[in-house]
This record gives sequence, C-alpha cells and structure tokens, in this order.
Amino acid sequence: MKKHLVSFTVNNDQYDLLVEPRKTLLAVLRDSIGLTGTKEGCSTGDCGACTVTVDGKSVTSCLMLAASANGKAIKTIEGLSSGSSLHPLQHAFIDKGGYQCGFCTPGFIMASKAFLEENPNATEAEVRHALGGNICRCTGYTKIIEAVMSAAELMRSARQAR
Amino acid sequence: MPEYSVVGRRLPRVDALEKVTGAAKYGADVHPPGMLYGKIVRSEYPHAKILHIDTTEAELLPGVRAIITQADVESGRKVFASDKVLYSGEPIAAVAATDSDIADEAAGLIKIEYERLPVVQNVMEAIQPTAPRLHSDETKDGPSRRGIRNRLKQLSLDESEGSSEEIRTLETELETLEEDVYYNISAETHTEIGDVEKGFAESDIVVENTYTIPRVHQTYMEPHVSVASADSSGKVTVWASTQGPFAIRSGIAGTLGIPLGKINVIPTIMGGGFGGRFGVTMTHVPAVLLSQKTGRPVRVQVTRKEEFLDGRPAPGCVIKMKTGATKSGGILACQALAFWDSGAVSGASIGSTIRVRGVYKIPNLKVDAYGVYTNKSGTTAYRAPGAPQAIFAAESQLDEIARRIGMDPVEFRLKNMREEGDMIPGGSQEPVIGYKETLKAVADAAGWWNRDKSHNQGWGVAVGDWTNGCGPGGVYVSIHEDGSARIFHGSMDITGTDTAITQIVAEILTLPYERVTITRGDTDSAPYATGSGGSVVTFTMGNTAKLAAEDTRRRILELAAERLNTEIDNFELRDGKIFVNGADSPKSISLGELAAFSLNTRGGPIVGKGSFAQQSSTPALAAQIAKVEVDAETGRIKVLKLVSSQDVGFAINPMAVEGQIEGGTVQGYAWAIMEEMQYDQNGNVNPGLVDYRVPTSADLPTVESVIVEVPAPNGPFGAKGVGEPPITPTLATMSNAVVDAVGVRVNDLPIKPEKIVAALHNNGN
Amino acid sequence: MRDFALFEPTTIEEASSLLAENGGKATILAGGTDLLVGWKEGIATPKSVVSLAQISGLDSIAYDENTGLSIGGMTKMRAIEQSSTIRNRYTALAEGASEVGSIQIRNLATLGGNICNASPAADTVAALLVFGAQLEIASTYGERTIPIRDFFVGPGESSLQHGEIVTRLVCPPRPDNSGSHYIKQKIREVMDLAFIGVAASVELAHGVVADVKIGLAAVAPTPIRATDAENILKGNSLSESILEQAASAAAEQSSPISDLRCSAEYREDMVRVLTKRTIQASAARI
Ligand SMILES: Cc1cc2nc3c(=O)[nH]c(=O)nc-3n(C[C@H](O)[C@H](O)[C@H](O)COP(=O)(O)OP(=O)(O)OC[C@H]3O[C@@H](n4cnc5c(N)ncnc54)[C@H](O)[C@@H]3O)c2cc1C
Ligand code: FES
Ligand code: FES
Repeated sequence: MKKHLVSFTVNNDQYDLLVEPRKTLLAVLRDSIGLTGTKEGCSTGDCGACTVTVDGKSVTSCLMLAASANGKAIKTIEGLSSGSSLHPLQHAFIDKGGYQCGFCTPGFIMASKAFLEENPNATEAEVRHALGGNICRCTGYTKIIEAVMSAAELMRSARQAR
Repeated sequence: MPEYSVVGRRLPRVDALEKVTGAAKYGADVHPPGMLYGKIVRSEYPHAKILHIDTTEAELLPGVRAIITQADVESGRKVFASDKVLYSGEPIAAVAATDSDIADEAAGLIKIEYERLPVVQNVMEAIQPTAPRLHSDETKDGPSRRGIRNRLKQLSLDESEGSSEEIRTLETELETLEEDVYYNISAETHTEIGDVEKGFAESDIVVENTYTIPRVHQTYMEPHVSVASADSSGKVTVWASTQGPFAIRSGIAGTLGIPLGKINVIPTIMGGGFGGRFGVTMTHVPAVLLSQKTGRPVRVQVTRKEEFLDGRPAPGCVIKMKTGATKSGGILACQALAFWDSGAVSGASIGSTIRVRGVYKIPNLKVDAYGVYTNKSGTTAYRAPGAPQAIFAAESQLDEIARRIGMDPVEFRLKNMREEGDMIPGGSQEPVIGYKETLKAVADAAGWWNRDKSHNQGWGVAVGDWTNGCGPGGVYVSIHEDGSARIFHGSMDITGTDTAITQIVAEILTLPYERVTITRGDTDSAPYATGSGGSVVTFTMGNTAKLAAEDTRRRILELAAERLNTEIDNFELRDGKIFVNGADSPKSISLGELAAFSLNTRGGPIVGKGSFAQQSSTPALAAQIAKVEVDAETGRIKVLKLVSSQDVGFAINPMAVEGQIEGGTVQGYAWAIMEEMQYDQNGNVNPGLVDYRVPTSADLPTVESVIVEVPAPNGPFGAKGVGEPPITPTLATMSNAVVDAVGVRVNDLPIKPEKIVAALHNNGN
Repeated sequence: MRDFALFEPTTIEEASSLLAENGGKATILAGGTDLLVGWKEGIATPKSVVSLAQISGLDSIAYDENTGLSIGGMTKMRAIEQSSTIRNRYTALAEGASEVGSIQIRNLATLGGNICNASPAADTVAALLVFGAQLEIASTYGERTIPIRDFFVGPGESSLQHGEIVTRLVCPPRPDNSGSHYIKQKIREVMDLAFIGVAASVELAHGVVADVKIGLAAVAPTPIRATDAENILKGNSLSESILEQAASAAAEQSSPISDLRCSAEYREDMVRVLTKRTIQASAARI
C-alpha cells in the first residue's frame, strides 16, 4: 500500500517519516523512532500504558494511526525531563514509591501531566477518576495517587514562582 | 531493637531514575539488528482433533521467513499441538516475518482443519462419568483407582512374601472406592488429623457450604515476550522478561535438548509477574525455534488477548467445606473437599487446600483435594498460590460461626489462634509468630472496636497466612578503589528487592546507601539465583547478600590488619572507615585506601562471596478489615475503607513493604468483587481488559497499611517474605463485609452486583 | 493489522466521492477507537479507509435559542463532556459522553463514531434519544436528515447507507423548566461498558410532568425509548406510585438478553430501578 509522509514533532524534535497507513502512533514511536519508554500493555485502549500527549491532550497511542498524527506535537515520557532535571511528577513518583515493576509508570505520568495541566487544583477523588484509564497491577494505586497529589502541589508552587 | 542506619529506612529505589524516565528496558524494548517478529498460531476450539495444517498461502506472503509446527521440533518434546487440541488458544504453529503486521497476517493465512470434540469447562461436570475425557487413557477411573491398579499390576509380578496380603487389601479398597470415583482427575491429595466425625458430633454448631472461586489471571501489565538469537555455532541467547532466568535456561535446555552451557538467558526488566512469569512460558521456546530456523534474532511478543487464551492463570476451584464449633467459640473440626480446575494440564495448587486450617487450633481436620482436567489452558502460581481460594472458604465459615454464636469476629479469631509452641495441624510446632499482634493491630488501626455504620454499610474482617519460600542463591560484593561497593547477582527484582539487598550490604559495610550499587548478570555470568516468587527474594537473597557483605568485611579487616600491622580484633568498621580500637591517638583508614592497597597485596582485590541454600522461614500473617456500602437495589459495592496489617518480620524498606501490602490487598479485593475468566463451549469469552475487569484507582479508597514486626529468627535483620500474604485474606474480608452490610452471603465469587440482588430477592427483600 | 489505502480528504464533497469511488470497500474513519480494535483483532479488514479528520468544521459545538444545539459529527467526547452549554442544558448528553472509556479514549472518540457504531450499549445514544436528536447526513446523492429514533436497526446496524457521512447532530432547544440525567450501571467506576444505560429528560409545569422522555441502552437490540413509561408519567405529578408504575412499564418495554456481563432478568430489574432514579434526578435538576 501507499505509504504516507508523516511529519510531526516528538519531544520537540522534528520527524518526517514514510509510514504504512496501518501503523499506529505507538508502533512508530517504539519501532521506527526507537522511543521505547511508551509501553504496550494491551493494544486495545484498555490499559493506558501507551499514553502520550498529542497537542497537549492525553491519548492511547495504540488506537491512533501514526498518519493521523501528521502535523501534531507529541510528547512522550522521554521528553518530560530536561537533561538531569526531572519533572515534578517524576520526582514525586520516586519519593512516594509510586511504582513497582514500572511498566505502567510512563502512561500514568503522561496521563497525570495532561490532567494536572488542565486541572491544577484537582481533588484526590477527581484524580482517582481521571486516571481510571490507566491500570497498575502492582501498587494498588495508593502510592501513585499520593505521588500525583504531591506533584500537583509541586506544580502549583512552580507555577506561582513563575 | 538495634539502631540501624540504612536498613529500616524509606529510601528511594535503586532503579528510580530509569523507571520514571522511560529509560528502563523491558522485554519488548530489546531490538537486536536484523530482528524478525514471531507470531503464534492458536487453536480456535477448546477440544478438537487436528486434521490438517496448510501453510502454503502463508509461506507465499512477502516478508515471511519461517513457519514452524511440531514437525520442526527435533527433540520431539511437545511444543505445539499436532494431533489434538485441548483448549482454545493452544499453540499449533509459529511464524517469523520481517514485520509484526506481516507475521500477524501470515498467522491468519494458515489454515487448520479440525474435527470438534465434546467440551467440558465446569469442574463439577468434568468429574462425572458422562463427561468427555481430556486424557482418555490416563483418567478413565480416576487416579486413586488407577494408582491401586498399577500397584496391583506390580504386585502380581512380585513373587515375594507378603504381597498376597497387600493384594487382598488393595482389592477390597478398590471395591469400596467405586462410589466416589471422580473422572478427569489430574492429581489428588488427602490429609486427615484426628477424627472429624467425632469433632462435628461434639460441636454445638456446624456450618456447611460450597464455595466457588473463579479462575483469575495475574494480569501483569507487560504481556509475555522474549527475543532469541541462535548463532551458527549453536549458541542461543535469549532475552527474557522472567521471574527466574535460570529456570528459563534449564527449561529451554530440557525442551530442545541444548546443553546448558550453550544457552545464555539475559533477563530484562520485567513488567510484573505475580507467579505467572516463572519458567518457560508462551514465548521462549517458539522464539528459539524460529531463530534457529531463520538464523536471525526473533522476538515473540503475545497480545493481551493471547495472555487470556494461553497464559497460565490461577486455578478456580469449588470447595465444599464444613466447620464445627462450640457455643463458647472453640473450633472443633474442619473438613474440606476441593475440586481445583487445573485446565488441560495437571498442576493446580491443590496442595494449598490444607490452608483451610488457617492459623487456628483445630483438633480434627480432614482435607481431600483433586485437580480436575477441563478444556482450558493450564494454570500456575498467582501470589500465594492456592491460599486465597482455601482461605476464602475457611474465613467465610468462621465469620458465619461467629455471627451465629454472637461473638465478635475478631475476638473469635483471637480466641482460636495458635501461639508459639502450638502444633500446626498436619505440620510442626509454631515458631515465634505474630498472629494475634497482627490481627489486633489492624483492628486498632481500623477503629474496629468502636465501629459505626449507616444503613447498608458493613464491616468485614479476615486473616490469611503464608510462609515465604526459600531457594539457593549466590552474591558477590566487591570494593572499588574509591571505596564504593558493588553487588553482583542474578536474581530478578520486581518489588524493590535490589533496593533491599543494597540496603543490607550498605548496612553491613557501614557505607552510605548511595555508595553501594547493584548489577544483575545474565545466566552466563551471574551465580545461580532462585526465581523471584514465593516471597523468596528478600529472605534468600537478603541473607545471601548479608553473608557476602560479612565476607567482604572479613577481608577488609584482614587487609587493615596487614596494612596497619595489628590484630584483626582491634578494628572496627564504622562510617565506611576502619578505626583502631582503644588506641589513644585514633587511627583510621578509609575503604578506598584499603581497596587501592589490596591491589598490591598477595590476597588481591576485595571480593566477598555469599552463598545460601534452603532454610525454612517463619509464617507471616496478613489481617484485613474493610468497610463497604452496598446499594441494595443495584447490588453495587463501594469500598469505604480498607485496612491491611501484616507481620513482615522486619521492614528493610517500609515504603516497599507498604507497596506490597497495598498491591496484594487490591488484587484480593478484585478477585472478590470483579475478576473472573469466563468460559463457554468455545473457550474464554472475556479475553480483554474491558470485560476482564482489573480495578482502577477510581474503584478504590486509599489502602491503609499497618506494618507489624515480629522478627524471623533466620531472616535477614529478621525480615520475612512480604509479597504473598496480603492477597490471602481479602476475598473473605470483602465477602464478610457485604454480609454485615446487607445480610446476604455470596459464596460464588466474584460478588457481582447481580448476585447480591438475587440473594436479597431470595431472602424476601 | 492488514494494510489499507488511507485517504484524508479536506471537504465533505471530496470524502463523499472517495467513498463512492471505492464502492463497498471503503470505511469511514473518525476517532478510530471502535475501528482499530476490530481491525487489530481481524474482525474487519478494510481495503480503503477515508479519514474525516482533515475536514474542517466537523467538530464544532454551537447553541442557538431558536434552533437548539448543533454538534459536528467529529466532535470529541471530551469536548462534549467539557462544554458548558451541553453540561447545563443537555446534561444527560454530557454525562453520557463522560462515561465513555477514559480521558485518553475520549480525546480520540467522536460522537459520530459512537452513534454510527450502532452499539446498543453506546453511552451517548440514550441521551440523544431523549433530546430528539436529528442526524444530518451527507453523501454524493445529497443531504438528508433523519431522527435518531429511526437510525438504529439492530446491534451494530444502522440505516446509514454506504458512503453516507453523519456531518452534524441537531437537538431542539431545551425548555427552561426541564432537567435531564443519565445513569450507567457498571461494575468498575471507569472503563466499563454499560450493563444498562438509562437517560431521562423531564419538563415540569406547575408540579406536573409536562413532558418526559426516557431512553434505554443495552436492554434491547437497539437503544429504545420507554414510551409506555413516558405516557404514564405525562400529566401527573412525580408521586412514588406513579414513578413505580412508570419504572415497571419501562422494564416491561425492554427486551434484554443475557450475556457475559449480566442476565436478562437483572437488566430488566435494573431498568425499573434506574428509570425511577433517573427521573427523580432529572426532576431534581430543574
Ligand atoms: C477502551 C475503550 C473503552 C470504551 N468505552 C466505551 C464506553 O464506555 N461507552 C461507549 O459508548 N463506548 C465505548 N467505547 C467505544 C468507542 O470509544 C465509542 O463508540 C466511540 O465514540 C467511537 O467513536 P470513534 O470516533 O472512535 O469511532 P470510529 O472507530 O472511528 O468509528 C466507529 C464506526 O462509526 C463509523 N463512523 C464514524 N464516524 C462516522 C461519521 N461521521 N459518519 C458515518 N460513519 C461514521 C465508522 O465507519 C465505524 O464504523 C470504548 C472503546 C474503547 C477502545
Ligand atoms: S496499550 Fe494502549 S491502552 Fe493498553
Ligand atoms: S508498577 Fe507494575 S503495573 Fe504499575
């Protein structure tokens, strides 16, 4: 089949790729670009491990065709920290023990980032609900939620400082 | 308790950075150059004869590099089904292609002709004489009778004295067995202590019920995957996401007849296992075979759907149970008959049925358990294998007895709990244990003693026990010239065990946590390590690492003596330095200095070694209390409070320990409330994460964990294995809470809303 | 997944002619959350796919007091859930949209896709039924408008002809003295498919029901209106006994099946329970 020229940015880097129409954004990020931080837990939209943001909105990249991402700005877990300085969410996941096997972590962090940027003052109940598209089998969520709530606070104070 | 500086602290994990930045490499992130993608072709039917396999069309698809079936397995060991399939999803062939989508497409082009056979999915049907037999020759009469027949056959060849008497007894036994012959039996076990009939006769109250616990999937978030690369010399390298690389090595060696020395298993970081990632599983052998055939690296990664079709989940079971007690709350007898659904392969956790005895003094106990073949995939371990099922039955019964005799369920349990020195029914004497402390701790933390509730709200309590396993392991510790230490080992970390090991070594060497690093080797380089499961790692590898660190310390002191020309006894290792004891002018030497010095000594660099083998640990209890609210019209259950205490011996890293308690408790909650693999005549009908429901954060409150520390005499710093206990009581905790809320007990898990509504209707509500 | 030819037209006309040219083999792609799952599992293997994503103007939400609410077929669920107009005036629709999957799914999933997929359990359709939505449909043969009530034919089947594109949905304006609500019966709080879905819209005048509409999902081969229950309620005050009668009538009108999620009996029973609750909640919003 005719491949499509797809141009987008991933973590601010420009990519121009020829892709088969059937390739998902997840497949292109992992296999073609080599950004394997985004995980595949189900490939059917059910687990959230593949969450990235597209123009700031969180999506399950396993259910989006790469071709549909043409012209968009994509962010993955690899683009979250700049150099050695971590994003508040990354700090908080470490400090609160918000992961065990870590397979769900990139998805949780990206979903939380998009949600907190839209809802900086979210309550715990709102956060629990908003992260309902992400499954973690290891932690029982308690420490993940603690991490996200504490990151929200860090993000709020960083915003105030600015 | 002694003061420690590194162990016992909530330190961030050693793998923190890679896990939060996406740098961590899991199985599917391995991509050697020239890699092909493998795909397994699976049976469409749960029970059928394979008449014909046609691969021609698939072979013609551009990009396909190899197609293999059982005919390609030179060792002859079964890898693929060739004449008959016993469950839908059973592997029949595998494809390797240059692209994952091409591999998928090729798999779809392989045509298999079947002749369908009758299917049996329910254990209680499978044991009936009318049921279709899965392994017809073996199980015609059930193994008890088969066992006796075999013995009789042996004896008839045996001319020696006394055999005729045994023959006579066996023959009578065979006759009496006629009545409860079960069919499709894969295994069985029987235990009898005391006289249960007498116990029941003496009881004031006897409760009897049948409990049905569904088959559930471990649902680790990373689907099975492995990458294999076979070179022309016959050397095979396998990247595997596994709980135990050494078992993969021996498994591949055994299945394919490759010498151990020609296989290197490189373990990758693993996305959860919970028992389901032990030994050779779905992907390893097909990946090796495809790589051998194509001469290129091959990755076989299964989909979530394949996980449900061909994973090795936890067995479901049906337990008929009976418990007798006195009015004053003393348990007199307990009897269980369990049928475990082992799927098409033998090996359900039937031995765990004995766990119905719980942590109580039970004078009379009888347990009969059978593994039953059905047309489903085989089963394997899931966090405390078999215990949640057995404990659900037992702790439900105790709750019912407590209600009937009007005794507080916590008091009732405390009254019957074993203490140090008491005999474990069917086992040895209890060592130092913390059963009562743990239950009291959860009751206090949850506010049990002055609990309040509104309409349709209820409180439930249950406990569950588990003793961690143990296995062999080896660890090396070396000191670098800058005085930092490095640990080298081969055991897998899922839960933060690398962090615990690092803390232990840092503690012994009196180094700051940051000055100790840890490296995992592959099976070519690392000393043997037991698989990470059965809560073994902190216990086994912690002990091993402690031995290695102590060995290192010995060598350090030896070197210091050489360097400073004094007796070893005069030294003390403190703050990463060696101090001379009692000297007026304190002399000290840094580890770095010593390490540099060591390079020029006869003894050479500082390397400590630790090896550890089997040792039994002490039992650990998990106790839980839940408060729920039930919508009596719709049957929906909302958990308002979930408190979980556990005797962990000693918490080397309390943050990691809490994580285990919270995670295990939520898995138990899910088993009680929502998880269930459903089957019909065509196989599993909910092979995906929409209809197989794993809870999300939106379903749960904060899980409150309470750490109790009753040290294990031989655990590292007193630590016990913590991974498994927390899942064991939760099924009953939830069910008991629902009873307290709306007065109906649902013994057929999961407690779906519909079942509550039906039970309430039956009660006349 | 099998490969396919992908077209990304920028106008409805172009899309329509691409669909016409490709005969029966072209599939319309919106957010892809239903389609990709089916493609991956080999349930469907399209030869050509026409994406509507590049057509501008298909994802707007507009409200006019005289003509009502107009939503583009490509509007994302997340936008519907967050629209203050829809939340205030067409509450049940915002609630239905917010029940679809997760935020990540709702950032992809469209309203047109939810309707055209024609699942009896779709979360927005019960609300669209009670709001009397009209679907605007375009094809090379021109445009037509049909009420949503006539749209569904069976599970996964609609009256949409091949090549037809749902461009907009229009819901008539809402009277001031009205309220609406949607309840989804599920086990998991988030990410469950509806066991039963009930939407209602209630308009009260001087304490009696001036108008009421009830939509039921997942309890019949297609989403349906519980018209018998509506008739019982109309002209009456919302007394306990009237509510009970109406709820039973709604249950009576449903024709659920048993499946892996729950039994037909439970579904019917829940239609009764939830109809009552939905009406009460709708009335409480006025
Ligand atoms: C994990 C997950 C959870 C989900 N949970 C829910 C849920 O809780 N509730 C629920 O209702 N749904 C749920 N869904 C289903 C799905 O997300 C919705 O049905 C969604 O609204 C479909 O929209 P889409 O844009 O993704 O459709 P697509 O997949 O792009 O298309 C769906 C169908 O509609 C056709 N189509 C789409 N747009 C048009 C148009 N404008 N004109 C003509 N035909 C068109 C397509 O050809 C296709 O047949 C879930 C899906 C996933 C993957
Ligand atoms: S991999 Fe995309 S949601 Fe699971
Ligand atoms: S940490 Fe393992 S799935 Fe979340």
